[in-house]
Amino acid sequence: MGVAEEIGFVLLALLGGALLTAGLERLLGTAERGPARPLAVARATALPNADRWLLPAGPISGLAGVLFGTVVIPFGPTLIGRDLGIGVFYFIVVIDFVVLGVALNGWGASTSDAVESCYRIVAQLVSYIVPLGLAYVGAIMMARSLVTTTIVDAQSGLWFIVLQPLGFALYLVTGLMQSYRAPFLEAFSDRIGGGVLGVVGGGPALVWRVTLSGLLFLVAAMGAILFLGGWSGPFLPPPVWMALKTYGLMALMLSLGHLVRPLSTAEMLALSWKILTPAGLVNVLIVGILILLHIGPA
Amino acid sequence: MSDYAPVALVAVLAVGLGLLALALRAGPVRRIEAPSAWAQFRFGYPIYALIFLAFDMEMIFMYPWAVVFAAIGLTAFIDMLVFIAILSAGIAYAWGMGGLEWE
Amino acid sequence: MNAANIAEIIAFALSAFIAVAGALGMATTMSMFRSGIFLMASFMGVAGLFVLLSADLLGLLQIMMYIGGMLVMILFMVLFMQDPGGAMMADMPDMMTPVGKIFSLGLKQNDPTGTGPEEEGEGRDGDDDNMGDMDMSDMAMVTPAYRWAVWAALLTAGGLVALLLLRPAWPLASGALDPRSAERIGSLLMDKYMVGFEGAGFLILIGIVGAVFMARTGRHGAKADRDSRSAIEDTPPEIEADPLTPLAGDIGQTGPGGAA
Repeated sequence: MGVAEEIGFVLLALLGGALLTAGLERLLGTAERGPARPLAVARATALPNADRWLLPAGPISGLAGVLFGTVVIPFGPTLIGRDLGIGVFYFIVVIDFVVLGVALNGWGASTSDAVESCYRIVAQLVSYIVPLGLAYVGAIMMARSLVTTTIVDAQSGLWFIVLQPLGFALYLVTGLMQSYRAPFLEAFSDRIGGGVLGVVGGGPALVWRVTLSGLLFLVAAMGAILFLGGWSGPFLPPPVWMALKTYGLMALMLSLGHLVRPLSTAEMLALSWKILTPAGLVNVLIVGILILLHIGPA
Repeated sequence: MSDYAPVALVAVLAVGLGLLALALRAGPVRRIEAPSAWAQFRFGYPIYALIFLAFDMEMIFMYPWAVVFAAIGLTAFIDMLVFIAILSAGIAYAWGMGGLEWE
Repeated sequence: MNAANIAEIIAFALSAFIAVAGALGMATTMSMFRSGIFLMASFMGVAGLFVLLSADLLGLLQIMMYIGGMLVMILFMVLFMQDPGGAMMADMPDMMTPVGKIFSLGLKQNDPTGTGPEEEGEGRDGDDDNMGDMDMSDMAMVTPAYRWAVWAALLTAGGLVALLLLRPAWPLASGALDPRSAERIGSLLMDKYMVGFEGAGFLILIGIVGAVFMARTGRHGAKADRDSRSAIEDTPPEIEADPLTPLAGDIGQTGPGGAA
């Protein structure tokens, strides 16, 4: 594909994915007062104390994060924005732009709820990034590459979910943390009036709507690639398999998340550093032993 | 390196779309009256944040190691085992000294 | 001069501009938060330069470090400083340098106490020069060494540019740029830089031990008069099963009230 077509594909994939994600959340009844809450798109918001440069930079950074992330998600053997040589690592780095966007928007808005939301979102970044990285590392070790299409090809014999169940469980939990869905809702919770989402309106609200739905879509899509074999499957065309696996994983994550009561920020941090990070390190060692015993893809 | 041409153009697209969305003036404007909140609150996770910084440095090493691990084999495993042991000692120390607490 | 060359030159110019402008903004702006963000932006410019040199793993590593690390560092700055957002300094334009004024645009707070437009606070305008009981040592964004710093920076920059221009011959890199950066870096870490790899682990351990030791209870320096809106006592609200949340009834309140 030429560069212009690639960019068009990325934009369409993100918008389509975000739309279907919003629909799925509405269908499952999990569109609660979290990041999926309805936003005041029809009315703009004026904040008297805003930092005039940082406040607009927030939604732009968030949108840039999800657009960057969509570039490396393959929907078929060649149906990808651009198959970067460091695909998965690039993905985990650029999703941080969404966190940066919420932090900028929260700080820039300069209301007490928005600034509190900024603190909580950085707390969530501190929680999820190490265990999520360790879950990725397990899949990277077996696939011997950071390229997303190579990771999918390495699962042509056996999906990684079978070989790395601990890694998959880790990905479920940290994926929910990364996309601010239940039970990790504190950054946009009702107690602080929705945080950043309570002080946006008009254009920025629409951008955040797309960004947060797109974020859940990307997290589920990357989970499907790392653990469920991506676009591979017997009868249906590859993009259909990719969509089925992505939304199936998303439904699983959302349902499991709703079985647990919402966790406060303190509990989330303790969970991440006391349970998830040691589990992640153990997972890396287990996968290492499996590879040394020649179990897994050749 | 020319792989990143679509990435750069996606960045331009994101900035363009973002600016477009910001410029949309949609009807009535809702004013939010709130005092400036920049110097009011503290956050309760400074130790967690410092430990996160340390482990972020560790994750830098994990990604390239993971790519070449299967090609090198046991030596790489032992090396990473030592590295993980060193860092686990760090977490264990922090946990034992009561550092993994919310303030 | 085909399209690829032009694109490369534009990308280089843009990355270099962002790197330098970000550093300048970091040094001169009056808001600490913005200073951190400018440093982040500067290193994204550097990351762009790395990507142009085909070291894309290093470039993305820069971005990862600087988003995560700088957000945390900015929060620490906010924790300990009196005026992290620059609002107070924005009211004192005489103390800013001309470049600082440019990078501090948009910080002026219209309504810092939230009294609202219809209530004229008496004497607020006459209070401009009285800083109240604020500790003067917290004017962290203004320094008497500023002129010396500017001259030192200009001389260093001039020296570096002179070295760049007057150097007789630039040897071109002989090998082709290797696009498989992850494998190369991984192999190097495992054989040539093994000691550095484990040594870095030790340094990280020392950092963790030092941080935990220094921050034992009773020793943190955050001002005790600040509120904490942490969620430790709260249990978060239960999720209401609300599948038909109507879009019409959106968040209609006029905004959160300020904290006490």
